[in-house]
Amino acid sequence: MAYAYLFKYIIIGDTGVGKSCLLLQFTDKRFQPVHDLTIGVEFGARMITIDGKQIKLQIWDTAGQEAFRSITRSYYRGAAGALLVYDITRRETFNHLTTWLEDARQHSNSNMVIMLIGNKSDLESRREVKKEEGEAFAREHGLVFMETSAKTAANVEEAFINTAKEIYEKIQEGVFDINNEANGIKIGPQHSTAGAGGAGGAGAGGAPPGGCC
Amino acid sequence: MNFLKSGIKTVLGAPEPGQQPSVAETVERLVERASNSTLLEDRRDACRALKALSRKYRLEVGAQGLDTLRQILELDRADNETINYALDTLNNIVSPSQFEEEEDKPNIPMNIGDQFTEMFIKDPHNIQLVLDLLDEHDFRVRLSTVQLLISLLTNRTKDIQEIILDKPMGVSKMMDLLGDTREVIRNETLLLLIKLTKGNANIQKIVAFENAFDRLFEIVSSEGYSDGGIIVEDCLLLMLNLLKNNSSNINFFKEGSYIQKMLPMFNIPEESEEVGWSPQKVSNVHCMLQLVRTLVSPSNSAQIISNCQKIMKNVGLLDALCNILMASGVPADILTETINSVGEVVRGDASNQEFIGNVIAPSYPPRPAIIVLLMSMVNEKQPFSLRCAVLYCFQCYLYQNEVSQASLVQTLLPSSSDVSNLTSGQILCGGLFSSDVLSNWFSAVALMHALIDNTTQKEQLLRVLLATNIGSNPVSLLHQCTTLLQQTTKLQSKVALLMLLSQWMSSCPAAVSAFLQVPGGVGYLVNQTCSNEHDDNEYLLQGMSAFLLAICINFNDDSVQTYSKESLKQLLVKRIGVEVFTAKLSEVCKHELYNKAAKHPQLRVGCPVDVLIDYEFCRLFKSLEGVLSQSLETRAVNGGGAGEADLEQYKALIRQQDARLHELVHQLDALAQQAQGLQSALNDSLAANSLLKDENTLLKAQVSANSIPTTQPAATQPPLPDPKLGEYEERIEQLNDEVTRLNGEMTRLNEEVSRLKGELKAAKDEEKNSAEEMEKLKKDQDDLLYLLANYDSKTNEYKLRLLQLGEKVEDDEPTDEENLT
Ligand SMILES: Nc1nc2c(ncn2[C@@H]2O[C@H](COP(=O)(O)OP(=O)(O)OP(=O)(O)O)[C@@H](O)[C@H]2O)c(=O)[nH]1
Ligand SMILES: [Mg+2]
Repeated sequence: MAYAYLFKYIIIGDTGVGKSCLLLQFTDKRFQPVHDLTIGVEFGARMITIDGKQIKLQIWDTAGQEAFRSITRSYYRGAAGALLVYDITRRETFNHLTTWLEDARQHSNSNMVIMLIGNKSDLESRREVKKEEGEAFAREHGLVFMETSAKTAANVEEAFINTAKEIYEKIQEGVFDINNEANGIKIGPQHSTAGAGGAGGAGAGGAPPGGCC
Repeated sequence: MNFLKSGIKTVLGAPEPGQQPSVAETVERLVERASNSTLLEDRRDACRALKALSRKYRLEVGAQGLDTLRQILELDRADNETINYALDTLNNIVSPSQFEEEEDKPNIPMNIGDQFTEMFIKDPHNIQLVLDLLDEHDFRVRLSTVQLLISLLTNRTKDIQEIILDKPMGVSKMMDLLGDTREVIRNETLLLLIKLTKGNANIQKIVAFENAFDRLFEIVSSEGYSDGGIIVEDCLLLMLNLLKNNSSNINFFKEGSYIQKMLPMFNIPEESEEVGWSPQKVSNVHCMLQLVRTLVSPSNSAQIISNCQKIMKNVGLLDALCNILMASGVPADILTETINSVGEVVRGDASNQEFIGNVIAPSYPPRPAIIVLLMSMVNEKQPFSLRCAVLYCFQCYLYQNEVSQASLVQTLLPSSSDVSNLTSGQILCGGLFSSDVLSNWFSAVALMHALIDNTTQKEQLLRVLLATNIGSNPVSLLHQCTTLLQQTTKLQSKVALLMLLSQWMSSCPAAVSAFLQVPGGVGYLVNQTCSNEHDDNEYLLQGMSAFLLAICINFNDDSVQTYSKESLKQLLVKRIGVEVFTAKLSEVCKHELYNKAAKHPQLRVGCPVDVLIDYEFCRLFKSLEGVLSQSLETRAVNGGGAGEADLEQYKALIRQQDARLHELVHQLDALAQQAQGLQSALNDSLAANSLLKDENTLLKAQVSANSIPTTQPAATQPPLPDPKLGEYEERIEQLNDEVTRLNGEMTRLNEEVSRLKGELKAAKDEEKNSAEEMEKLKKDQDDLLYLLANYDSKTNEYKLRLLQLGEKVEDDEPTDEENLT
């Protein structure tokens, strides 16, 4: 259970785009075909490995419905990463991205890593938003982009892991103040003792020299 | 300032209030000044004065000043002192509690603080103003703001929660205060957060997201865990708020490795025995135990429970709890709650159950902890709540664990070689038959939990034999339970035994068969079910008896001939009736204590008299009630499954009707004969009557013929003296009456008579004979008189003969009826 770092994520985007499904696929490797509307926020967690280091992801899946917008806003500040999701079969969910991005930028810390996700890539026949449009939007706003399918699990692992890699790199670069927990990053309890990752990870950047003890 | 203070004094202390400005006027002047004065000092002084008045005259200050105070918060933010007065004034106005100064003012409404709160939050922007003040670092301002928020939340929890949720970063701002290095603020913030998180899952999640658990554990640890002061308790109360019924947060707590962090809370130092436990420590540990139970509460999802249980075992938390259990000097209520906690930490987790099964108590001689606990359960001298806790813990130990269930039953089996040590089975048997009714109940229920969904143990338990009296043969446990059920007069024992037997016999034909062979068992249940007493507990007993009876039918393998499935059904239909039976059955779940018990696996009652129904019995009842009553009800509708029974029922009906038919035929015969007899008697009388009339006419003629020689006519003429003639006439009249009466009887019997014309011919033959007899009678008048006089007795004779015929008929009937029953 020991981890080197803990990252807090949030998943945001319009209702029905598949946020909860993405989380469920990532944590439980399951798909939920029925839309189980999220009320408020739901929590999920999983351990991943980056650069030989155990990284714990704590993920808050928010409700896309307008009524919960102010609750969602409470989660930006403490998150290190955000998955901003739209549905490639519903153009309006793509059109709302600007609003989401504004909200996120306004309430989060400036270093928060945002991953843009075009979900439901399995529904090619019903596609309304071209992949190129997603790529263009991401490029324009400095986001990482990926198309996923919570149904077939295509790119789901990658979406979460790539976000973590991005954060990890920022830590290595010293961009994040890892001692400020408000950034959504925590150093693991055993990080200093060369921990679970083994000797291989110890050389990485040396940014957190003995966080605890 | 001084001037103002003394001014107020004169106002308040004035002997003639009519001439002085009233309080309302003073307040009005001050509000005016606070609102309109261009000088900051003036406004500040006015606020200070309002604050001073606001405790004793909150009605006046609140009614006139609320708006102005709100305005000050907005416009005078630069001046902490003014802001502070305004905040304190507001806080006094909305305070949920009554001030000492108000005690002699009965006209102040009790909920005045609540009313002012409502006015204040009507504009949600006002809350935003208060929240903005939290950014102020000034100690007084920050503290007053927190206190104002606490007051507002106390009055209008739900409303304020919603407003705060709607404000961006509203909750986050309050969370930040938890990091304030000034302890007073931190502690006050804890109280604020406890109020804020109460019952609102969304706020609870945000608070958890904002690293609340980290902060709280830091505080708890820095304060010395269970030895810390009330601040530790506050931290734990907040954690409880965050976790109670909030699966998302429990998941977060578990994933965030916070269970490990709980461990030092349960380190009870060795010397605690001598030192004793301070009340604060008792409160702290109590909260910590609540925290444990919240994570593994049976109302959580199975996955969460199982995950948390495993972690608790792996990090040594279960071990630590067991140590408290075995430690000396632990206060009774802590011990009780620890027992409950241990129960829930092991409930349904085989490895944890095995773990506590192996804990050895430091007693002399050393005994398994389970044994020591069970000994307390059946010990009248132990506190009631502790005994309940042991039962719960033991139930958790057995819950869904075939191994622990089997090992309990094993200790009772004849083959059990362990005779030297006291076993759990022996303790429970002792309790089952002890004179203490609670021990009966606890033991029966404990035993019952070894049988849940476990047919093997139900059958094994049938092998248990008890030596009742020296010299007499041992009887089976089931037999003894059934006997006790019939003998005991105590409600709790009866209910406990009925629950045990229900669980035991459900889905176990062998146990049903054994029960049916116990003399009086079925009869007792039938009588109980039929009982007509009216009170809730009687209804319950009737319903539970009906339930057990239905189990006897449903799980009957027809191995006991007298009580086969069918014959029991017959019995039930005849003695009770399906409708009444179903109605009685449904009474069980109407009992108040049934509904209480059904809510939670743990028995949650305040006093011993409320110990009556167990959660698992409710589950059993719920799962079987429908099936049992349906199987009885559908019998008339479908000809499929219940065909044989239907046929039997019809046969019985036919037999009944057949017997009735016989009876009626006999009656008819008898009536026909009676009619016949009467008819002939009537004919006789008629004949006699006409004879007499003729004779009478003749005699009259003779008399008139001899009327001239009046003196000696009798010498040659037949001797017929006058008095005798009158006698005859009298008799004729009597006979006429008789004829009338008989005519009435004739009409009544006309129907029968008409149907018996054939027999009437024979009667007519007899009539001829009678006529002949009458001829003789003509010759002998005395004989005629005799005959007439004896008419009645003759009729009686006929009746007697009829009766004899009737008796012959009745002789046949009872044999038929006996076949039916
Ligand atoms: N075909 C397909 N369907 C998906 C995919 N992801 C989600 N869905 C479906 O889309 C619907 C909505 O998914 P959710 O994950 O519940 O949506 P959400 O974004 O969490 O919605 P809110 O909780 O209301 O914000 C469900 O019926 C899913 O089965 C996907 O990748 N492919
Ligand atoms: Mg959702």
